[in-house]
Formats: sequence, structure tokens, C-alpha cells
Amino acid sequence: MFLLNSVASLVKDRRGRFSPLRAVTLAILCAPMLQVMVLAAIGGLGGRPVMEATHKTGDWAVYFLLLSLGVTPLRAVLDWQRIVPLRRMIGVASACYAGVHFLIYCLDQHWHMLTVASEIALRFYLTVGFVTLLGLLALATTSTDRMIARLGRRWKKLHKLAYPLTVLALFHYFLQSKADVSAAVFVAGLFAWEMLWRVTPHAARLNWWPVPLLAFAAAVTTAAVEFAWYGLATRIDPMRVLSANLDLSYGPRPAVAILLAGLTLALIAGIRRRWRQRGGVAMA
Amino acid sequence: MLIGKRRGWEIAERLATPEALMLGRRAALGGALAGGAALAAAPAQAQWNLFGSNAASNAPPVVLKPLTAPRLDRYPAGRAISAEADATSYNNYYEFGLSKSVAGAARALPINPWSIEFTGMVEKPRTIGFDDLMKQVTLEERVYRHRCVETWAMTVPWTGFPLSKLVEIAKPTASAKYMVFTTLADPKTMPGLGQRFYPWPYTEGVTMAEAANELAFITVGMYGKTLPPQNGAPLRLTLPWKYGFKSAKSIVKVSFTDKRPVSFWEALQDSEYGFWANVNPTVPHPRWSQATETLLGNDDRVPTQIWNGYGEWVAGMYTGLTKERLFV
Ligand code: HEM
Repeated sequence: MFLLNSVASLVKDRRGRFSPLRAVTLAILCAPMLQVMVLAAIGGLGGRPVMEATHKTGDWAVYFLLLSLGVTPLRAVLDWQRIVPLRRMIGVASACYAGVHFLIYCLDQHWHMLTVASEIALRFYLTVGFVTLLGLLALATTSTDRMIARLGRRWKKLHKLAYPLTVLALFHYFLQSKADVSAAVFVAGLFAWEMLWRVTPHAARLNWWPVPLLAFAAAVTTAAVEFAWYGLATRIDPMRVLSANLDLSYGPRPAVAILLAGLTLALIAGIRRRWRQRGGVAMA
Repeated sequence: MLIGKRRGWEIAERLATPEALMLGRRAALGGALAGGAALAAAPAQAQWNLFGSNAASNAPPVVLKPLTAPRLDRYPAGRAISAEADATSYNNYYEFGLSKSVAGAARALPINPWSIEFTGMVEKPRTIGFDDLMKQVTLEERVYRHRCVETWAMTVPWTGFPLSKLVEIAKPTASAKYMVFTTLADPKTMPGLGQRFYPWPYTEGVTMAEAANELAFITVGMYGKTLPPQNGAPLRLTLPWKYGFKSAKSIVKVSFTDKRPVSFWEALQDSEYGFWANVNPTVPHPRWSQATETLLGNDDRVPTQIWNGYGEWVAGMYTGLTKERLFV
């Protein structure tokens, strides 16, 4: 368990003081795992508990991976410097969830490791998942203070791998979907937002308007990703999928959800901005 | 190949978990409650589901009526019957949402009154009321193994009558080659239809030979009660040697044709879900292996059998069809 130092050191800031923000983050990172464990214990995971646990841990591996990539943009958009040191913890948590996800898969195969190996070799989506897992574990194991110091500038370069690894994780997500890829498309939309923010010129980032603009751009990208997936990977008419975005009777479709999420963020950022200009106290 | 030569589908005794024992284990876990299994299903129902509403409908809980019929032992299941709570809470019914927890949403299914339309190549197109139909058939109970293409499986006591009886009642003409089943598509009660890009309504089809096979069954009940909505009330198809998606639910229309129908899943993705869809462990789904299956409720993983173990009754229908993708 060298990845997880001790909980005590995790919730302390660099100067060794207890940090409520870190404690809350740690609690959030652990909550899904606890939820899965409790549900498993009380038989609350439904008819196929192991598969349900596979899905939940896979989901959270991806969510936390995206959250770790979201730290930098959120710091800027929300002008919230103190979240930066949380990134490492979030990233490591993502790798842990991916690791547990893999172990649960092995459990599902009743620990027939030969089957696990041959399935990984034979099923493309598992091969993709496996490569992603190796990458995430490499990043997690190089995230100790010692390794960071030892790798120096190369550390930053190495950890840029988080981006291609996210693409692979999303690919795994899409590939394992049955007919409906909505959940995967939504997550891809979050990633699109993060990537679009990265290509936003630095000068523009100082203004308020790139954030709502990004919401629209990310929503369009989301719709495009979905269109492409249905068009290329299924026999569903992608035009019908595209036009379904205009119909909200079935609840928001992924592109619409991304738009709403992006606009909500813009709203929060705007409120924070106003509040600060009026001399409000810095948020924790 | 060893598979298929065996009579029925015998499995090692230790693999068969008696229902009582299974329920007992769950109840113990759930806090020694008698209704442990039912309780266990509840949190799964409340699953967070971002896309595709599967919220419980406002409809009152469905009251299932007792429906008992003599059990036919000709097709031994060879393994323990699945817990009713699992078989009725882990369902694919896309009309009511994309998760497995559709039981709540499916309560809205308008089963009263219900009628079935006979159309296409029949002597006389007509519509028959469900109660009317029930008067013309003799019910029996059969315990069948059910194998989903997604690799889960269950063992269920179905109540119903042979599909051949329905054919007899519908009276197709001699030129009919296929029998096609259509599921209800009611936008008022089925939120899933809002996913307009799916090829609704759900349709499935079989050849006339398959329809005449003694295993092909029309199900109107399970576990000694009428069918719950999520399992396809009031009547559904049950084809135990094929992947589960072939067994269309909540049938409102039966038509006969000489052209091979394109079914719902085939229209979505013919490379993964074809017309035949016969169970075969050696033919993997393009994305996963079909070699083994997990039993609902206890996660036991058991080997999958060709024709889902029903080769002795069905394999003969497919000799000579070597050019067909029989197992996709
Ligand atoms: C060797 C490595 C891996 C294996 C064997 C594996 C296996 C699986 C399996 C069996 C499923 C369910 C497929 C189904 O329902 O049929 C799945 C789904 C998924 N996996 Fe993985 N996986 C691996 C790595 C990863 C990694 C590294 C991530 C993310 C960082 C990930 C994220 C997901 C997600 C998001 C899902 C979908 C969950 C859902 O639909 O709710 N997996 N994986």
C-alpha cells in the first residue's frame, strides 16, 4: 500500500497542518468505493452484483481521471488556487479505482488468470482497458514525493500521458457499451470541454466570455462525437440521433447535458467573479 | 465436440444452488430479514441513471394473480431455479429504460385490456382479446434455462402454452415462411420510445419450422403467477435455445410473411445480433466471449452449452443451413 501513504499524511497540507479541503476531497474519493462495499454486503447490487461492481468502479475511475484533468481549468475558471495540490490525490484515486475494477473483473472470472489473460488478448475493448490500466498504474506509482523529486522535469512530461490515457479509457467505455453510448458520450463531452479550454488562448482566459462559449463548443463537440459513433459503429441513422438532441421529452441527451453543465459552471464562475470584485473573502 | 451429445443439460450437483439456500444466504446478509431478497432489489432500483429515465412510474404496484399449471418434466433444467426476486428485477426492457432496473417504470404497462392482432399471410386477419385467447389454450409449466447475449443466465418456471398452438389459432396460409412478433410501442407509458432513433417497435421473428418446434413457448406467467410487466406481460415469446433478445415481450401483433424480417437488434447492429442468434459458446460476440455465463443472484460462472443445452430438440432444424450465421 505504498500508494496510499497514511490517511493522516494525506489530509495534511504541505506545511503539515490539517486541511479540511483535503479531508473532504479524500472522503469524496473514498465514498464510491464504500458505497459499492456496503451495497455488496447487503446484497444491494442487484442480480449481477459482480458486474454491477465492475461498472461502478469503472465509472469512477473515469470520472476521477477527468476530474484530475479538470483541476487546472477549474482553478482558472473559478479562480480557486487551493485545489491544485488535490490533483495528485484525485489522479491516484482514479488509478486505484481502475485497479480495483480490474481485480473485480478477475473475480468475475473466478481468478482463472489464464482466461483473464486470453480475454484481454482476444477482446479489443479489454486490450484497450489493460493498456490504460498499465498507464494509470505507471502514473500513480510515480506520484510519490520521492519519485517526483527523482524524476524532476521528466515527471511533468511523463504525466502528460494522462491525456492519451483518458482517450484510451473513453475508447474502452464506448467499446463496452451495448446499444446506448449516452453515458460514454457524456463523459467524452466533459473531456472535450477540458481539451477545448486547453486550446483557448491564454489572453482570452482572463475574460468571462470564454466559459459560456466553451459550454456551447463542448456541446457541439459532444454531439459530433455521438454522431460519429452511431454513424461508424452502428446501423442507427446518425442524422436521427443528431436531431434527437432537439427533443427534450426523454430527458436531456448528452450534448444537452454538457451544455447545461457548462453553462452552470459559467454561472458559478460569474457569481464568484462578481463577489470577488465586491471584495468578498477568498473561498476556501 | 462433447457438447450437444449430452442428454438435456446436466451439471455438477455442487453448482446447483437451491433457491431456498440462496434466499437464505441473502437474507442473512441483509440482516436476517425474511424479505431479504426483495430488500436487496430495492437499492438497485434506485440506481443513478443519467440518461434514459427509468424512474418508477406513478402507476400503482402490479398485483400478480396466481396462475398455476401442471409442470412438464420433459425438458429438465438441470440446475436450480433462480430466485424470483432476481428474475423479476434484472431485466432488459428498453421501452422502459436502458438500465436493468425497469420494474418500477414498467408498472405503467397498460395490460388491461390487451389484444393481439393476427395479420399478413393468414387466412383471415383479425384481432383477438387476451382473455379470449386464454380460453382456447391449455396452460402448462416448463422450467427453462434462459441465456442472455450479455452472458447472464437464469432458470425460470414459465407458465404458458406451445407456440405451435398460437400458430394454429392464427391460421397462417401455406405461403408463410416466417412468423413475426411485435411488442407494444406506446409512447404514453413507455419512456424509452423517446429514444426516437431506435427502430421501434420491437420486432422479432422465427422461421415457421422454429415456430413449430416443441420447445418454442408462449409465456403468460412465471413462478406460478401472471407475468410481471417487466418480464413481458401479458404474453411473451420464450425460445430457450436462442439468446434472450429473440424472445419478444408484451406481444401485440403476430404476422406471417415470406420475407425474412429484420428484427429490432438486427436493425441496430446486425454484426452482433443476427436473425438466428442461437446460443453457442464457441462463437464469441464480437466484443466478448460467450464461453461461460453467470447465473443471476449468486454469480456462479458455468460453461455455456451449444443451443443452450437444448440441441437434442432443436439442432435438427438447422442441418443444411450451413451458409447461415446461425450463432450470431
Ligand atoms: C485490464 C483492464 C480492464 C479490464 C479487464 C476491464 C473490464 C471491464 C469490463 C468487463 C467492463 C464491463 C463490460 C460489460 O458490461 O460487458 C468494463 C466496463 C468499463 N470499464 Fe473497464 N476494464 C479495464 C480497464 C479499465 C480502465 C483502466 C478504466 C478507466 C480508467 C475502465 C473503465 C471502464 C468503464 C467506465 C466501464 C463502463 C462502466 C459502465 O458502463 O457503467 N476500465 N471494463
